[in-house]
Amino acid sequence: MKIKKLLPILLVFSLLLVFSSVTMAETLTVNTYTSDPAPRKAMKKLVDIYEENNPDVDVQLNITAHEDFKKAIRVWLSSDDPPDVFSWFAGNRAKYFVDKGLVMPFTDVWNEENLDQKIPRAFKSISFFEDEAYFLPHSYYWWAVYYRESIFAEYGLEEPQTWEELLEVGETLKDNGITPFAIGTKFKWTAAGWFDYLNMRINGPKFHTDLMHGEVPFTDDRVAEVFKKWKYLIENDFFVENAAAYSWQEGLQFMTQGDAAMYLMGQFINDAVSEDVQKDMNFFRFPIIDKDVPVGEDLPTDGFMIPAKAPNPELAKDFIAFLASVEGQRVFAEDMGRMVPNKDVPDEVYDKPALKGKKMIENTDALAQFYDRDMDPEMAGDTMDLLMKFWQYPDQYQSIMEEMEQVRQKVME
Amino acid sequence: MEKRKVQWRFLAVPLIFYTIWVIGPTIYTFYLSLTEWDGLTDPNFIGIQNYLDLFNDSIFYTSLVNNFIWLLIFLLVPVVLGLFLAILLSKKIRWAKGFKAAIYSPMILAPVVIGLIWSWIYHPKAGLLNNTLTYVGLNFLTRGWLSNPETALYAVIGAAVWRHTGYVMLLFLAGLTSIPPTLIEAARIDGATAWQRFRYIILPLLKPATVIVLVITMIQSLRAFDFVNIMTRGGPFNSTNVLANYMYTEAFRNYEMGYGAAVAVILFIIMFIFIFFYLRRIREEELSV
Amino acid sequence: MNYLKKRKYLNAFIFLALLLFVIAWLLPVFGAFLTAFRSMDEIMAKGFWTIPEKLSLNNFKVAWTEGNLNTYLLNSFIITIPALIGTLFLSSLAAYALAQYDFKLNMALYLMFVGGMLIPFQILLIPVFKLSNFLGIYNSYWGLIMIHMVFQIGFCTFFLRNFMMTIPEELSEAARMDGCSEFKIFYRIYLPLSKPALAALGTLEFTWIFNDYIWALVLIRDNKFKPVTAGLASLKGNFITSWGVLVAGSLLATIPTIIVFIFLQKYFIRGLTMGTGK
Repeated sequence: MKIKKLLPILLVFSLLLVFSSVTMAETLTVNTYTSDPAPRKAMKKLVDIYEENNPDVDVQLNITAHEDFKKAIRVWLSSDDPPDVFSWFAGNRAKYFVDKGLVMPFTDVWNEENLDQKIPRAFKSISFFEDEAYFLPHSYYWWAVYYRESIFAEYGLEEPQTWEELLEVGETLKDNGITPFAIGTKFKWTAAGWFDYLNMRINGPKFHTDLMHGEVPFTDDRVAEVFKKWKYLIENDFFVENAAAYSWQEGLQFMTQGDAAMYLMGQFINDAVSEDVQKDMNFFRFPIIDKDVPVGEDLPTDGFMIPAKAPNPELAKDFIAFLASVEGQRVFAEDMGRMVPNKDVPDEVYDKPALKGKKMIENTDALAQFYDRDMDPEMAGDTMDLLMKFWQYPDQYQSIMEEMEQVRQKVME
Repeated sequence: MEKRKVQWRFLAVPLIFYTIWVIGPTIYTFYLSLTEWDGLTDPNFIGIQNYLDLFNDSIFYTSLVNNFIWLLIFLLVPVVLGLFLAILLSKKIRWAKGFKAAIYSPMILAPVVIGLIWSWIYHPKAGLLNNTLTYVGLNFLTRGWLSNPETALYAVIGAAVWRHTGYVMLLFLAGLTSIPPTLIEAARIDGATAWQRFRYIILPLLKPATVIVLVITMIQSLRAFDFVNIMTRGGPFNSTNVLANYMYTEAFRNYEMGYGAAVAVILFIIMFIFIFFYLRRIREEELSV
Repeated sequence: MNYLKKRKYLNAFIFLALLLFVIAWLLPVFGAFLTAFRSMDEIMAKGFWTIPEKLSLNNFKVAWTEGNLNTYLLNSFIITIPALIGTLFLSSLAAYALAQYDFKLNMALYLMFVGGMLIPFQILLIPVFKLSNFLGIYNSYWGLIMIHMVFQIGFCTFFLRNFMMTIPEELSEAARMDGCSEFKIFYRIYLPLSKPALAALGTLEFTWIFNDYIWALVLIRDNKFKPVTAGLASLKGNFITSWGVLVAGSLLATIPTIIVFIFLQKYFIRGLTMGTGK
C-alpha cells in the first residue's frame, strides 16, 4: 500500500525533472512582405539555414502580401507586441520610421560585422540616419528596358543606346505591326517608372532626387521637358492602347504573345514569364538622352529593420548579423537572380543576366530608389494619379504640372 | 414595477460589449475627425479644419456624386431585374431551384475573384465584352471600359449589379411566397391582365419585402468599397472614387487618419438620414397595425 | 383548352429565355473555374477566355500548400463559430428586451443598434486595434472573435427585434400568469419560435464573418492565427500574382460557405421577410 501511494508522487517528481532539464527554445518573430513565389521560397530557405545554425532558436516567419504589409506594419509597430525583425524598403519609407522613433539602431552589429568593408559605400547613405545604422540592405534589383530577342532579330534590330536609336527601333517595330512598348498602368507605378527614367536622363539624378524629396517645384521648366518627350511617345503610338486598363502583368501579356517588343520594368519580370519566354528575354539600359548628364538608375533596395519595441532585441540583432553575412545573402542571389550588397558573395552565384545587370550598375553615377519609395507617400500617391491623367490627356501637361505643384505645396507645408 | 427593471437584465451584457467595441470606437472616430493624425504618433487637435478642407475638396464631391449615381443605378437595375426574375421563378418552371442558385451564386464568390474576372471581361483586347461586340458586328462600341474615365464607373457598377441582383431576387422570392396564389388565380379568372394582377395585387402585398430591398440597396450603394478598391483603386484619376474608398485611401495610403475620419463621419450622417426616414416609416406602420 | 396550351407554350418560352439568360449570367463564374484549372504560363501565352490546352489541379495543390489552407481554414472556423453563437445569443437577448418591454429608452437604444449597421467599418479599424492592444487581445483569436461578435449585434438585434414583434403577446401573458420568470419566457417561448429567423441570420452572419479579411489584417500579426481570407491574400505577390492559384484558393475557401448555405437554405428563404410584419 505504501508503495502504491508513492508511485504517483514519484511519477510527478520524475516528470518535473524531465521538464526542468529541457531548455525552452527562444522564439524569433520575423515578418516579411516576400509574398512573390521566388522570394517566398528564398526567405523560407534563409530561415531554415539560420535555424540549423542556431538550434535553440525557433523562427516564426510571417509572410504577408505586399500591399497589406504596408498597412499592417504601422499597426505592428505601434502595438506592444511587434515582430522582432521586419522587411522594409530603403529610402523615404525607412526614414519615416526612423524619424518617428519606431525602429532600433544596430550600429553595434554593423561595426562588429565590419559591414563598412563588406557593403559598398553607396549603400551606406540608405542604411544610416544621423550616424546610426537602422536599415540593413539585403537585396536589390535593377530596372531596364527588357525586350524579346526573337522580335529584335526578326527585324534586324540592335539594342539602342541613344534616344534617337530608340525612336528608330520603335518606328521599325511599328512599321511591322508590333507595338514598341508593352505597359499596364492600372496601378500607376509603371507610369512612375517612365517618369523616373525620363527625368534622370534629361535632367540628371541630382535634380531627380531633389524633385522626389519635394525640394523643387513641379512647375519647373525642366519637368516640362520630361513631359514633352513623354507626350511624343504617347501621341506616336509607342505604347499599347488603353494601358490604364491593365495591371502590369496583364500588360506583360502583349510581350509574351509577341504583340509588343519592349517593357521598361524591374528585373522580376523574368519571374512572371514562362521558361521559353525567359530564354528569349534580354535587356538594355534605358537609352541616353543627353550625353552630358550623369547616368542615374533606379535601384529599389529591400532590407530589414528592428522595431524599437522588439521583444527579443539581442536575438533580432543576431539575425540581422546573419542577414548581412555571405550565407544570409547568397540564397537571394543564387535562387532569385537578385543582387546582394555583400561584396564577398562570389560572382559565380550570379547568373548571366545578373552579371550584366551588375556591370550596368557599376557603370552608373548615382542611384535612386524609385518614385514611390523616394517620395513622401501622400505626395507620391496624389502625383501618380496626375501622371495617369497626363497619360490620358497628354496635351494638358502644363495644367497637370500645376496640379502636381499644388499637391507638393499641400504636403510640404 | 418589477417589469420596468427587467429589460436591463437582458440588455446589460450586449449593451456593455456594444458600447465598448462599437459605440466607443465610433465616438473616437468622431473625435479623430477633429484632429490631424498619422496613425503612429499622437493625434493633433485641429478643430473643424478637416471639414473645411472637405468643403473645398473636388475629389470629395466627385466621390459623393459617384455614390449617388451608384445609388440611382442600384435602385433601378438590380431592383427591377431582381423583382422580374423573382416573379418568373416563383412560378412552376423546370429547374427553378437551379436557376435561383445560379443567379445568386455571385454573392458567394470572393470579391477579389469577381474583380479579377470582370477586369478580364472588360479587357480591351482579349476581353469577353469587346470580343463579343466585335463578333456581332458592333465593333464601334468597343473601348477600354475600365481605363476610360467616362465608362469606368459604369463598368465597375456593372460588376456590382451582377452581384447584387441575386440578393434582391432572393428577398423578393421570400416576399412572394407569402402571397396566396389563390388570390392571383381569382383575379385572373375575373379577367385581370398580367399587368393588372401585378400592379394591384402583387406589388402592394410585396411592400414589406420591397422596403427591405430598398433599404439594403441604399446601404450597399452608399457603402460601396470592395469593387472600386479591387478593380480600379478609384481611378482612372478618381472617376470611380466613392466615399468609402476615398476615406480608406486618405486614412491608409496617405496616413491622414483625421481627414479620413471626417469623410467617414459625413458618410455616416448621409446614411443615417436615409435610414432615419425609413425607420420612421416602419414605426408608423407598426403603430397603425 | 386554349388557355392551358397557351400556358404550356409560355412556360416553355420562359424556360428557354431563363436558360439562355442564366448561361450568360454564369459566364464570369465559368471564367473563374477556367482560370483555376489553368497554369499561369498558359494564361500569359493564350489569354483569359480561350479554350485551355491543359487542365490540371496544380493550382489547387499550390493554393492549399503555399496558402497553408488547412491551418487557415481551421482558424476561420475557430473564429467564426464562437463569434456566430455569441452574436446570435447576445442579439436575441437585446432584441427580446426591445420587443417585449415598453420603456423610455427603447426607441433610442433601437436606433443605436441600427446605427451600428451603418458605420463603415473601416473607420473603426484603428480605434478597435488600439482597444484590442490595450486589452491584451491583439494578435489572438479573441481579438477577432470579440469584434466580429459585437459588431454584428447591431444588424442582428434589428432583425430579431422585428421578428420577435410578430410573436403574439398572448403567449407571454399566459406564461406570466402561470408564474414563469421573464428569462424562462425568453428561453422557452421566444427563442424556439425564433428558430427560422436565427437560422436565416446564422447563414448570413456565417458568410459575412467567414469572408472577412480586413479585421484579420489589422488585428493579427502572426500567420498561425490568420483566417483563410487573409491567408489567401498573402498569395498575392508584390509584383507577381499567380491568378490561377489565387482563384483556386478562393474557390476552395468558398466551399464551407456553400455547404452552410445549402444546409440552411430552406430556413433562409422563409426567414428573411419574417421580420416585416406580414
